[in-house]
Amino acid sequence: MTPDAIENPASIPAEAPGGETARRRTSILVLDDEPIVCKRLKPFFQKAGYEVEAFNQPLEALARIEAKRFDVVITDLKMEGLDGLSFLSKVKALHPDTDVILITGFATMETARQSFRKGVFDCVAKPFKLAELLDGVRRIEKERGLAS
Amino acid sequence: MTPPRLLNMIARLWTSLASRLRGRPPVPFSVLYKKFKGILERHNVILELIGDMGDKLGGDYIFDRQYILDSCEKLGDQVFKLISDLNLLCQGKNVALFTAFERILLRVREELAGRRVLSRADHILPLSELTHDLADEGGNKMASLGDIKNILGINTPDGFVITAGAYFEAMTRADLRKPVAESIRALCASDGEGLEEKSSALRQAVMDMPLPRELRQAIEYAAGQLADGGARFLAVRSSAWDEDSESSFAGMYETVLGVAPADILPAYRRVLASLFCEEALRYRLHHELCAEEPAMAVGVMPMVDALVSGGLYTYAPLQEQDQAMVVSAAWGLGKPIVDGTAETDTYLLRREPPHDLLSSDIADKSTRLVLEAGGGTRTEAVPEAERGEPCLSAAQLTLLAKTAMTLEHFFKRPLDVEWAITPEGELVVLQARPLSIRPRACALTEGPAGDAAEAVKGVPVLISGRGVTAMGGVSSGPVHIMAEGEDLASFPYGAILVARHSSPRFAKVMPKCRGIITDVGSATGHMATIARELRVPTLVQTGSATRTLREGQEITLDADHQVVYEGVVEALCRFELVREDVFEESWEYRTLKRVLKHISPLTLLDPKSDSFAPESCRTFHDIARYVHQRAVDKLTSLAETHQDIRERAPRRLVTKLPLGLTVIDVEGGLAQTAGEDAGEADIRCRPLKALMEGLNISGMWETSPVAVDMGSFMSSVTRTLGAEASHPSRLGRNLAVISREYLNLHLRLGYHFTVVDAFLGGSVNDNAIAFRFMGGVTDLTRRSRRASLVAAILEGFDFLVEVKGDMVTGRIKKHPTRIMLDKMFMLGCLIGYTRQLDAKLDSDAAVTRHLDIFLQRIAALRETRE
Repeated sequence: MTPDAIENPASIPAEAPGGETARRRTSILVLDDEPIVCKRLKPFFQKAGYEVEAFNQPLEALARIEAKRFDVVITDLKMEGLDGLSFLSKVKALHPDTDVILITGFATMETARQSFRKGVFDCVAKPFKLAELLDGVRRIEKERGLAS
Repeated sequence: MTPPRLLNMIARLWTSLASRLRGRPPVPFSVLYKKFKGILERHNVILELIGDMGDKLGGDYIFDRQYILDSCEKLGDQVFKLISDLNLLCQGKNVALFTAFERILLRVREELAGRRVLSRADHILPLSELTHDLADEGGNKMASLGDIKNILGINTPDGFVITAGAYFEAMTRADLRKPVAESIRALCASDGEGLEEKSSALRQAVMDMPLPRELRQAIEYAAGQLADGGARFLAVRSSAWDEDSESSFAGMYETVLGVAPADILPAYRRVLASLFCEEALRYRLHHELCAEEPAMAVGVMPMVDALVSGGLYTYAPLQEQDQAMVVSAAWGLGKPIVDGTAETDTYLLRREPPHDLLSSDIADKSTRLVLEAGGGTRTEAVPEAERGEPCLSAAQLTLLAKTAMTLEHFFKRPLDVEWAITPEGELVVLQARPLSIRPRACALTEGPAGDAAEAVKGVPVLISGRGVTAMGGVSSGPVHIMAEGEDLASFPYGAILVARHSSPRFAKVMPKCRGIITDVGSATGHMATIARELRVPTLVQTGSATRTLREGQEITLDADHQVVYEGVVEALCRFELVREDVFEESWEYRTLKRVLKHISPLTLLDPKSDSFAPESCRTFHDIARYVHQRAVDKLTSLAETHQDIRERAPRRLVTKLPLGLTVIDVEGGLAQTAGEDAGEADIRCRPLKALMEGLNISGMWETSPVAVDMGSFMSSVTRTLGAEASHPSRLGRNLAVISREYLNLHLRLGYHFTVVDAFLGGSVNDNAIAFRFMGGVTDLTRRSRRASLVAAILEGFDFLVEVKGDMVTGRIKKHPTRIMLDKMFMLGCLIGYTRQLDAKLDSDAAVTRHLDIFLQRIAALRETRE
């Protein structure tokens, strides 16, 4: 924790999880081939009041996306088998109104920038703070009018 | 000419003679200074990397395997370059330092590759030294017991563990490690073909294995001591790697009870051999543990004589009662209860304090197991009158319940606790295992409907989005607002501690508190570190929790999300316990923690001791510290001997206060017109100027009582200069290396030793101050009080603070120059203020008092300055 982060309220969520007036839960799909990321993100977002499904295998996540639309997709950029950008394209082709947050390694920040052209909502570099990601999801909800 | 000067001159002559003899012109000083600055920068980069890696353990971050690998590589690379830089600066090759680097790097790589590096070479470790940090040495079961005893302070039997290292040494000497690995590999490849024969052969080999003589002697000696010369019999228990953890080998390994000290070695062998029993090998095979080398540590404890024994599940495995814990109890020793052969009393208790009794079912207990005088155990009849009596009183039940909940909060799992009450009436915890059953709320992790989110809907939020998570987690309880200087002994069990400032003092109550919330504090401070060690959900820097929350108010703290709810949100708390994976048990967490053992502890502390040498470097932090010190020394001696700056040789700085300060001006740190004896008006070095202002300013130089203090102060300065100025390396004297932007100050005042390293006035990103404070002659308590005072002041001024023993390190960087100069001013005040404070810090309350005085004075000073 740097002093900057303490002083910068933007990095801290502004309201309580589970927004009291939310009628429908915002749904999130998490895809990361590092199991630890899924293991930690899933309960974190569940506790914050979201409906969460998490996948380690890109193909399984793809099959799920074909069957169900999610409000938010959080995916790793670099994975074995299928990279995050292809996954992003497939998600966008199937559900143009699904917003995608890309998790990137530090070294792949450049690719991440390119991804904005493909319609990525936000990029978060690993290792990241849980609050950063929650903040991204909250902004999506605000823009989409998902939670008041 | 005084002797030091003479020595100086000789040293200079020698240096110039030597360089002439070597036949090459000396490297220009400006080049060396640049190298020196480069070393300082790299040193900071390294410390920052180390700090970042430590932060990741806090629970606020998501990191993965790649992060650990990358960080280790980056750090290794930087440390290697730092050593190379030093070699360039010193123009010599420091082979020993490279060797130390290689040694540490190898250990880090071993950890990353899953080959655990034991940090303690001892064959025997007393239980009183064990914690989960030594789980590799002591095995999981004994390490957990060590946590219970040493971190949580709960009564357990004493005892010792024969380490995994002892097992490896015995196996290596007997040439058995290779055959074991081959057998396991063959079993895995053939899907268990010939498992029975292989198991029997391996067990026999271990039973026949000669134990190294020193190991035999050490075990026999320790067992004899523990058995009190044969008066007590021993329990010898398995404590293997991975036992009781996610891949639980529960109940597969051997436990030998009622062992006479003379029979300790055969019992030890039996437990070792059980590592290869059929069940365990089969388990290994089916749980993809083929690649991991098995290891067995063995715990040895005295048999506990018990009046009453039993078990406790923190969650009753009953459909209709999932909010309760269940206790079973019977007279005598616990074995028949664990085996399920005894009639037991059953009590159901509420999980929430004060743990009301929900029901009790008292059985007719006709027999009990007792210790025999000559060793061993026997079953006897329970006297008629006691058979139908409850074996636990209400007070005992409450104590048991509180203890179990404290354990559950620490291990973050529903638990199965084995306990006993001694004839003296003392509660002893024998073991605590994760319970394989889960509370019913478990379902919510699977289905799309999150009950947890449902549960917080409509719950009033008291604090939200404020504060910094120092330790994640969820817990609930009544608020206890800790007044400044309040006696910690009265802290109520199960409460959530709310305080204005974070303080390492709170460590004392952490085992019984459920959470910590502070207005002010840092996630990297000393208290945060302890909270992580004890896994207490902690939120710091909330600004106003002490005003928002009321004494006694029931709240639920969700430190992960920085939210405080009104009331007890049971579902949210339960969610914490049903998590499939406890972060602290993940591979990533454990590996990062293991790797950090070889990276972050600082063991090289005293530059003047003989052990301040490359050979003693045990961590990357040590190497960085060593190089930094050597670089400063080298620059100092270069500044005195380098022919380029002979005319800029050290100059005495005449100051209003008797600092005995020598300065070496590298680049524009003094006015060009300054003479041999420069005055304060000549200072152009911005950080030094600000620091001197703080030191000089009235009210901050603590001089009362003047006569005594100034006398001892002067004598210590004289002593310092007199004894050490003649030393060629010039360590320990009051010296400042300065340029216009840079200050490196080593200042010994009275008994305190302060190092300030500051670079201010370049780009904002380069602005950095590192402040270190140590020493002092008073007793340890006062020294640590002073450390906590200095730490609290630094934290109050936004420094990142680390306290190690009585050494306080504070760092701040990347603030605008104006703000940083203000910090230098404050440091000047701080140095003046704390100069001889030890003697006055006669109580914890004095720390708070002096903190307030200092803050008030400095606030007033800053106002007048502005």
